[in-house]
Amino acid sequence: MNDINSFLSRLNSTINFSTILPEIILIVGLITIVITDLVNKGKNAIFLYKIFLISTLVSMGILFYQLISVIAFEDLYTNNIFNNLFRFFILICSFISVLLSVDYVLCSKISLAEFPLFKISAGLGGMILSCATNLITIYVSLEFLALSSCFLSGYTKRDIRSNEASMKFLLMSGASSSSLLYGFSLLYGFSDGQVQLDNIIDKISFSQYLPIICISAAFILAGTAFKLSLFPFHQWTPDVYEGSPTRVVAFFSVTSKVAALSLFTRLFRLIFPYLSNEWHIVVELLAISSMILGNLIAVTQRSFKRMLAYSSISQIGYVMIGILAADLENGYASMLTYTFIYIFMNLGTFARITPFSLRTGTNNIRDYAGLYMKDPVLTFSLVLCLLSLGGIPPLSGFFGKHYLFWHGWKAGLYISVTVALVTSVISIYYYLKIIKLMLTKTTNLVDTLKTYEKQKSLVSSVISTKLKSSVEMAMILCALASTLSGLFMDPIIKITRNTFF
Amino acid sequence: MNLSELIHEFILALIEPGILVGSIGTVSFINIANSTFSLGLVFTCISLLYFALNADFIAAAQLLVYVGAINVLIVFAVMITDQSVSSDSEKRGIGYFTALGACSILFLTIVCIFHKINDFYSSSIHQSEYLKLNLFEKNDVQNIGYQLLNKFLVPFELASLLLLVALVGAINPARDEDEGKDIAENKKKSFVSSTSPRDKSSFF
Repeated sequence: MNDINSFLSRLNSTINFSTILPEIILIVGLITIVITDLVNKGKNAIFLYKIFLISTLVSMGILFYQLISVIAFEDLYTNNIFNNLFRFFILICSFISVLLSVDYVLCSKISLAEFPLFKISAGLGGMILSCATNLITIYVSLEFLALSSCFLSGYTKRDIRSNEASMKFLLMSGASSSSLLYGFSLLYGFSDGQVQLDNIIDKISFSQYLPIICISAAFILAGTAFKLSLFPFHQWTPDVYEGSPTRVVAFFSVTSKVAALSLFTRLFRLIFPYLSNEWHIVVELLAISSMILGNLIAVTQRSFKRMLAYSSISQIGYVMIGILAADLENGYASMLTYTFIYIFMNLGTFARITPFSLRTGTNNIRDYAGLYMKDPVLTFSLVLCLLSLGGIPPLSGFFGKHYLFWHGWKAGLYISVTVALVTSVISIYYYLKIIKLMLTKTTNLVDTLKTYEKQKSLVSSVISTKLKSSVEMAMILCALASTLSGLFMDPIIKITRNTFF
Repeated sequence: MNLSELIHEFILALIEPGILVGSIGTVSFINIANSTFSLGLVFTCISLLYFALNADFIAAAQLLVYVGAINVLIVFAVMITDQSVSSDSEKRGIGYFTALGACSILFLTIVCIFHKINDFYSSSIHQSEYLKLNLFEKNDVQNIGYQLLNKFLVPFELASLLLLVALVGAINPARDEDEGKDIAENKKKSFVSSTSPRDKSSFF
């Protein structure tokens, strides 16, 4: 007993548990889901989703409380505003994507308990990745996130495209995280065995080991650019997004990108400040090519999900400008505000594709023709989200992009901002193409839409209205957020301002 | 040389031919099962080498992970696949000689580097510094355990959760869904009257 007491007291002195309390609540939720599924033997699966929702909400509440009173905490991870904001973003992503996937419970033929399990574990990995400052914690949480996303994308095992998507994702994420690990190992070796990011900078002598640090930076860039799907490392994105189930794509298109953004920013800001000229040029090149490539190829796409994949590649290109433009007075405010708005825009668009594809079974853009007549609510909210993605005022996408480009122009990134403006105009083209298709009344409707039934429900009507309302709630939430966030731009910018570290 | 160094040299002289023979056997056996077993020999001899170098934790980890998990997995995979005995071709084309040249250059590079490092570290200044580090006094496993539970607690617990999720995720696509088939048949019957586009797509 004495040993346990002394161990606990020593543990309490080294780790302050209240700082990782949100993650602990998510872990408790995860274990509860596993146990309830075992006890219930597969029945009453909506209860699992309720557990997920409750744990996410509680953890969001605690994180909110922590945001207000910043608790200092050393060693494993620090709790500055930057990290907390990213944890908050990931919790929002998880929450909204759970609302999207509740109807999965009754409409699928595959077992259901593992789906919230993987979603919680991916959210957990993302949250810990957002605040890790230890090379080992970064690697373990990154692998956690990647592995859970891979399992999620291969969830519908009867669908061949889903199998292909998860195979591609697994192999490519394995290769990229091995290159990340090689970069880490170089840093670990040359800083005399230090694993903490701060200690690495102290011990490593930049003048003596400059070529090694450049090589390490290149490998780390390759590893993190994969998750962000920047230009040469974007090849997995369209195939994985097209093959995975739509709810899963909604989830990991925002979660893994947000987590990878926080990792990228932290690594490159903390470890390579002396190299900032070099890696700025490289990242600028990558950002420009992702914007150009993403927008140009998205014009030619015929499948909605593939088009959204390419558009998300270009959105990350815009966000990279925000990372490059960080300075002392504004911090990473532009990147954070645009990420916040991007979450809602992207999730909103996916929230509308999901019921559409459920009701008509197709993802072709051409099949969206004349949707206005059949389902005006869906059409109108999809129009709002697509316009916000394109950057049309007065929606919040415009304000986000405006702040981002203004910040970039002020920081001297003239080429990137010009390219970004041009490619934004190109992106407006393909978003408007869909909107025009939906809003025009065609004389001969496409076959799929002739049979479009708005109230299609596979189970009894009571449950179906409850389910329908959760997806509708997600849709409405995202639509409101992507329109009204523009009005609340100033307070958002003020919160995200003090984030330079 | 005193007795302990003699024993050390003797043990190393036993282990190193084992590694050599095992790796040559892995590459040149025609029957793949034989080559996987000789791969197991290579891994075991490397683990014995770690014991001889006084790194007991790594030796145990090597035995558990490489021999006990990875090699067993390879043996399973080899046993399951139906491998017919391939005919070996005696013709040695240009690829053979290119690979031979590249590998010998790599080998010579590594030998040169090791000689240089050996000269560097056997000078007296560095030896006294090395002895100052007192590496042999701490118990390896105890040190690792201490660090795991104090400094690296979060990644340690997270790795255990990762194992749980990996297990669930690995079993999930592989298991047989009997209930799923029944539900699928029932739904198919109810869908007879439904429209045709629904049959086109698989699952969204």
